Amino acid sequence: MSAVPPVALIATEGGTRRLAAVDDAAAALGLHVGQKAADAAALVPDLVTADHDPEGDRAALEILCDWCVRFSPAVALDGLDGLLLDVEGVSHLWGGEAAMLDDLLDRLARWGAPARGAIADTPGAAWALARYAPDRTIAPPGGQAPLLAPLPVAALRLDEAAQAQLPRLGLFQVSQLLALPRAQLAKRFGLGAVMRIDQALGAAREALAFRRPATPWFDRLAFFEPISALSDLERVTGDICALLCARLEAEGQGARRFELVFHRLDGKDQPVRAGLSRPGRDAVRIAKLLKPKLDTVDPGFGIEIVTLWAADVEPLSVAQRSLDADGGISLEEGLAPLVDRLINRLGEDRVWRADPYQSHVPERSVRRAAPLDPAPETGWDPDRPRPSRLLRRPEAIEVLAKLPDDPPVQFRWRGKSRRVRLAEGPERIGQEWWRKAFDEVGPGKVRDYYRVEDEAGERFWIFRAGLYADGEKVPKWWLHGLFG
Amino acid sequence: MKTHAYAELQATTNFSFLRGASHAQELMLTGQALGLSAVGVTDRNSLAGVVRAWTAAKELKKQGLAIRALTGCRLDFMDGTPSLLCYPSDREAFARLTRLLTVGQRRAEKGECHLFWKDFLEHADGQLALIVPPAKLDGAFETDLTRIAGELRGRVWLAASRAYAAQDLKRLSRLAELARDARAPMVATNDVLYHGPERRPLQDVMTCIREGCSIAEAGFRLEANAERHLKTPAEMARLFERWPQAVERTLEIVERIGFDLGDLKEQYPDEPVPPGKTAMRHLTDLTWQGAAWRYPKGVPDKVADQLREELRLIAKMDYPNYFITVHDIVHKAREMGILCQGRGSAANSSVCFCLGVTAIDPTEHRLLFTRFISENRGEPPDIDVDFEHERREEVMQYVYERYGREYAAICGTVIHYRPRSAIRDVGKALGLTEDITAILANTVWGSWGDGLPDEHIRQTGLDPNNPQIARAIALATELLQHPRHLSQHVGGFVLTKRRLDETVPIGNAAMKDRTFIEWDKDDIDSLGLMKVDVLALGMLTAIQRAFGMLRAEHGQPIVDLADVPVEVKGVYDMLSKADSVGVFQVESRAQMSMLPRLRPNRFYDLVIEVAIVRPGPIQGDMVHPYLRRRNGQEPVEWPAPSPEHGPPDELFGILGNTFGVPLFQEQAMSLAIEAAKFTPDEADGLRKAMATFKHDGDPGQYRDKFVEGMVSRGYERDFATRCFKQIEGFGSYGFPESHAASFAKLVYVSAWIKWAWPDVFCAALINSQPMGFYQPAQLVRDAREHGVQVRAPDVLMSDWDCTLEDRAFSSPAHSSSPAHSSSPAKRGRWRDADTHRDGGGVLRRPGADPGPPETHAFTRRSRIFALRARPG
Repeated sequence: MSAVPPVALIATEGGTRRLAAVDDAAAALGLHVGQKAADAAALVPDLVTADHDPEGDRAALEILCDWCVRFSPAVALDGLDGLLLDVEGVSHLWGGEAAMLDDLLDRLARWGAPARGAIADTPGAAWALARYAPDRTIAPPGGQAPLLAPLPVAALRLDEAAQAQLPRLGLFQVSQLLALPRAQLAKRFGLGAVMRIDQALGAAREALAFRRPATPWFDRLAFFEPISALSDLERVTGDICALLCARLEAEGQGARRFELVFHRLDGKDQPVRAGLSRPGRDAVRIAKLLKPKLDTVDPGFGIEIVTLWAADVEPLSVAQRSLDADGGISLEEGLAPLVDRLINRLGEDRVWRADPYQSHVPERSVRRAAPLDPAPETGWDPDRPRPSRLLRRPEAIEVLAKLPDDPPVQFRWRGKSRRVRLAEGPERIGQEWWRKAFDEVGPGKVRDYYRVEDEAGERFWIFRAGLYADGEKVPKWWLHGLFG
Repeated sequence: MKTHAYAELQATTNFSFLRGASHAQELMLTGQALGLSAVGVTDRNSLAGVVRAWTAAKELKKQGLAIRALTGCRLDFMDGTPSLLCYPSDREAFARLTRLLTVGQRRAEKGECHLFWKDFLEHADGQLALIVPPAKLDGAFETDLTRIAGELRGRVWLAASRAYAAQDLKRLSRLAELARDARAPMVATNDVLYHGPERRPLQDVMTCIREGCSIAEAGFRLEANAERHLKTPAEMARLFERWPQAVERTLEIVERIGFDLGDLKEQYPDEPVPPGKTAMRHLTDLTWQGAAWRYPKGVPDKVADQLREELRLIAKMDYPNYFITVHDIVHKAREMGILCQGRGSAANSSVCFCLGVTAIDPTEHRLLFTRFISENRGEPPDIDVDFEHERREEVMQYVYERYGREYAAICGTVIHYRPRSAIRDVGKALGLTEDITAILANTVWGSWGDGLPDEHIRQTGLDPNNPQIARAIALATELLQHPRHLSQHVGGFVLTKRRLDETVPIGNAAMKDRTFIEWDKDDIDSLGLMKVDVLALGMLTAIQRAFGMLRAEHGQPIVDLADVPVEVKGVYDMLSKADSVGVFQVESRAQMSMLPRLRPNRFYDLVIEVAIVRPGPIQGDMVHPYLRRRNGQEPVEWPAPSPEHGPPDELFGILGNTFGVPLFQEQAMSLAIEAAKFTPDEADGLRKAMATFKHDGDPGQYRDKFVEGMVSRGYERDFATRCFKQIEGFGSYGFPESHAASFAKLVYVSAWIKWAWPDVFCAALINSQPMGFYQPAQLVRDAREHGVQVRAPDVLMSDWDCTLEDRAFSSPAHSSSPAHSSSPAKRGRWRDADTHRDGGGVLRRPGADPGPPETHAFTRRSRIFALRARPG
């Protein structure tokens, strides 16, 4: 009698309760998946049962998947109980694939999720080796075929129909299948079977759904001693930025988005993000952008690994520093860091630039554009002087003006009366009739704009909404903007 | 209070396509109402709209409202020279302007005009020029201005307008400065695009259509405001308060314009007159020669009197050239063996009959010459001649050759927007998606000008109250009335004494080697220029073919319409039985149902038959009374005025031929004059209102005058109302009696051929397709019913056309669609398939099957299948 009772999970299938999973102890006592729960209980009276929770299983697998990001950002769920990691270009951080695999599996075991693993060229081969070959098999590049040959045919992930047929035909090992001519294989077991073989051997591609896209722009620092002080966090931030940016520079690339993830001892992650308006690889600048956000990082019991990955990577040529001293900084070099700081501090939609848009109606003649977008083709029309500050809501004013459309002589705004010294206008702007309902449209619905300068020298943009006409209501005056 | 005076010198009509948004008439009317002294039409590189403006001004003058229409043109150049508003100061200058525009248009594609500054200089004498400043007054413009002002010293001005832009006064000051420095005085205009600000939406939509963008994307291409309309003199004076002379100068310019479009009148070519003779002498000689030909047994006294009377009137009105010209064309056509016949009111003239222009002897049918030419009207005669449709092109080329391309050109015609294209263009401009505009385009629109009834819109599933849709439809309806482009007319030739391009600009048509003038038929009529309509009639081709077959196959010596035996009873019997498939004009169902009721038994009955089944008489409810009276079911009563107003037989002269029932268009006119006492001018107005095809004349405005006029003289109100309803129904569909007579001649001839030689008839009709009312299949069936054996096409025996084979005829090898569409290659194909001679054809092209198949070894279907299975 073992100290640990055997455990099995029960799922209800079509009214019958059956075993969904059994542990080793239960399996040793002769229980198997699919057996009726009643039978199992009869065979093994002290069987401990629990309900099968597929969603919980899946959630746990996803957490595990996310945890594996510290090993490679490209992780994908594989079925109900597996994970696939694309470790291309990452293994060097451990000093080799074997070391990485050991580290990964050891940590998983320590974490309470023992697993088997294998590394190979293709997902198909890796899948097969992980499940059916000796644990921690690493297939040399291109050399997975001999390793696959002795495995049972189940290692190829064929569909159920094919799986059922194979034993009847006396095919049990992968090597037997590989020996058959392809055409026959296809005819007998379908094209899917041939595809699976090709995928395992690397002759066909397989698409995986990664939790995050695969990218080589990824760096990782691990610490012997977990860190938690802010100054340490800042220091490692600078270090890891330097690492990644050096690689970017070596490749002539720059990136726009950077994500720094602090991996805590208890498995939780703390991400910190920064973005650039132009692709860049200046480590100091990027670190500077990240540092203000470090106060949001809660180190918990300590941070053992920090990873940095870059996205929106584009080619960026080397900028030669000019030799002459007064070669001024380009607009971009000067403005871009400022813009970045503003954006990162205030938020992306709070920093914008006004671009002209072709519309006669003033409030519609301005569009927002990203601060460093290329300048529009047509600039502001010099024949249409517009105030540099346009009020979102025109403010009502009282005006003294000669009929029918002379500029105002005097006006009162925000309680203060101003006398007009110089004026220009009227500039008559009609409505955009196609945007209005029928009864709001008419030749009298115009605005007459005037540029006026008062005795103090301030300039305003004033309009009258409508025309003076006998017997109709008197049109109102508004102040729409300020010059200078 | 000071009264201001102003003339608008820069106005665009909708003949600046998709730029101007008002009709010329609207501009003149509004201009007069606003008190302008004159409005100058300056369309872009075109004089297409000037006649309409001038005509409108003339009409206003008749009503006592004075405004002057100035003839001008805005010249846009290809080489960057600033645009000029060009006003010719006299007739010669106008001739130079038209030549300039012709040069520009002839060297470009249809609808375009490429002008360069040096072209203008060559034609600059006598022109008054207003320079149009561009948006930017930069150094380049200053240079151009100085140069142009230097070359046109003394007759050049700088046009300035206030667009209500941000820096108007600054710009005007600058313009004043420039004008002073260059010595081209500044003159005020308003750069008018439409007559009133309410047209702005349509003008915006036109801009979008022109630029090919939607209204949301148009941006600054649209005007900022609606100020480019005609303004009162007081308003212009206020806008140019600081520069009052600019406004006064407009009148100075008007003073210097001594040209008026009325100066173009009376320009008949004197080309065809032999040297040494006057035109009148020549015409008289030709007439008597013709009379001898028409009356080989001697000219009856009645006819001789008539001829003398007509010739006297022609001499008095000075029209001989006109007749000589038409005679020349017809004579040439006969020489070329082309059958032709004059139609319309020319058939009232004995002179025309003797000249061979028409085929009806008016004295026989009591047709009145005064309906053709009247002393009062003072308009030149309008003779339309029908030619065989297949050979009309030859006649046209002859006219070009004879008169030269500088003296003869085809009238233009204005193509307006059609509902489909209007709603599509407007919908696209307003940003409606294509599926919606397609639905609206395919709906049935009401009669022209009424737009799209709500009910129709609902039926398509769209909501007529949706503002987007309602707006699109409203604008599209407005757009319908506007011209889209000019095109050449079907066959109206304008002939002038002076070089034609010194009277009107001539441009290229889409067809190669064709040119047409910028003015349309109405404009030509309004100006009093000479026009000959060279029209095409399919039936003439068929008759010509029939004559040919009769001569060749049956030895009948028939060459001309006059050679056909007249008043053959059998023909009338056949027609009375409604056996008229294929016969000219009387083959439609409506006609077929009328024939047995009318039972024609003489020529004049055919004249009635042709005229009676038309909207006019039907709408006026005159058909049944006529039939009843003719058949003796009703006594013939004469509506008469009360005795104190007129004699009881007042209407006998007018309605004598038609049993007291008015059926013809000119009977209605005569009623207006005799019974309702219209003045000649009013009658003219009524005639014009009836005659315009575009329905923009409105006979309704005359209703009260007509009905009350008759009633006040004692006629019954019911009769008067019915007469007027008939007038409204005539519209453009009314037939004058002479026209009906000309057509009746063809009815008779075609019926005679059908009666006497049904095989010839059917073959001739089929060989002349496409024409007529029925498909070849129906014609063949009808022929068979008359005992003609029609043989199927045979690969080895058939010819391209139908041929006669002892009272049977063989179908052609080609399909029933237009004769020229089959290619010889297809005939080759037929030879590859199996043939099976059986005294007739074997293979029958699907579609050319006239009836039950002949008996053959294969059924039709299997033959087709076998054919299809064979490759190529």
